[in-house]
Amino acid sequence: MVDLLILLNDRCVEALDVTAAGVMLAAPGGDLQVLASSSAALRAVELFELQAEEGPCVECYRTGEPVIAADLTALDRRWPRFARRAVEAGYRSADSLPMRLRGHTIGALNLFRTALGGLAAPDLTAAQALADVATIAIIQHRTAIDAHILNDQLSEALNSRVIIEQAKGKVSQASGLDVDQAFDRLRHHARNHNLRLTDLCRNIADGALNPTALDPLGPSRRL
Amino acid sequence: MLGRTDGTPGLARLCEVAVDVAAVTGAGIMLAAGDQPQGGLSSSDGVADVIEELQFTLGEGPCIDAHGQGSAVSEPDLAAPAVTRWPAFAPAAIEAGVRAIFGFPVRTGTVRLGALNLYRDRPGPLSGDQHADALVVADLAALAILALQATVAPGALAAELDASFPAVVQQAAGMVSVQLNVTVGDALVRLRAHAFAAGRLLSAVAEDVVARRLAFDDPPSDVP
Repeated sequence: MVDLLILLNDRCVEALDVTAAGVMLAAPGGDLQVLASSSAALRAVELFELQAEEGPCVECYRTGEPVIAADLTALDRRWPRFARRAVEAGYRSADSLPMRLRGHTIGALNLFRTALGGLAAPDLTAAQALADVATIAIIQHRTAIDAHILNDQLSEALNSRVIIEQAKGKVSQASGLDVDQAFDRLRHHARNHNLRLTDLCRNIADGALNPTALDPLGPSRRL
Repeated sequence: MLGRTDGTPGLARLCEVAVDVAAVTGAGIMLAAGDQPQGGLSSSDGVADVIEELQFTLGEGPCIDAHGQGSAVSEPDLAAPAVTRWPAFAPAAIEAGVRAIFGFPVRTGTVRLGALNLYRDRPGPLSGDQHADALVVADLAALAILALQATVAPGALAAELDASFPAVVQQAAGMVSVQLNVTVGDALVRLRAHAFAAGRLLSAVAEDVVARRLAFDDPPSDVP
């Protein structure tokens, strides 16, 4: 997980016009922690920010909105302690982007620059996109989902989808129905015979059951 | 005809990021199950859609290779390749406006999920940094796909992944298998062969079959 975040930071620094990048995430209790930073200097500034409980990253996490600090030297009133410390470390501007999933903020991606002025709009968009995907990846890790199990489920779901569509095609051709009517007929038959739709479709698709052998559509057998 | 695929907002944004960081014209993500491509999940533009469709139709191309061999595939000049790898795909892709093309496996560990495709409308290789960035985007795509699948119950297919599933092709395969009395696998091969010979996309041929504008049991009169 930390590997991914380090990678995310490195890519932000390489691909975007930023000096250093860091990720802060909320611990289960809700307190922010510095998870990864692209430089030791930034890590020190971020740790200070958490201790002082003021600064763009903290505000971004609190509000769930991007915070753009285009000129840190002019921010001695908004965040006096943080701004001084960041400027001392050589940074002149900072952008903090929320890591959000379905309205829930889990942390912030922090991008610091030695130049004045915030990131250009396209860079901000790209950075937010990276933050969004990293958020998904983090949530996935937190729920401790096994990639192999998920992949098996994905393959099985895709295969079911293939089989059902193929069976619809076969029934459609064999019975002169359109594919939607063919699907109705498959479902009708599965219901009448208490079969799983996927099992019935597999039998049709692989030729074990003739598509014309299905119960005709019409009044249900049930009284 | 083909529009930009954006059934998966996270993946669509990833395609945009890939375009940005690798300085390419467009990007697309292909989903696969086993060795079978299951269609394009997301793309940055119409040409990227066509690239996915061509590979799905022809069964060859950079995504299929990248997915199959589990490593990146690079063709900086599709019109003058060092080795001819994709005899059917290359001319069709050039016609669609592609001059350089790159494929990156979308996987996590040993789990292989598909491939990321990048293309340029001019020839030229990716720089080392661009290549490295593309690999990261491909890794993120793998995590995003699994995260999507993690939101649904076992047996179900996440709606975002289902949206791009080429249902019409599988329906057509079922119909042609009855028309020719062959297995659906063989029917799919016949559909692909027809699409290739007619210079059309598999999905377009499949739509004709499902709409009964084209049948494979007709006496051979060629033009349907």
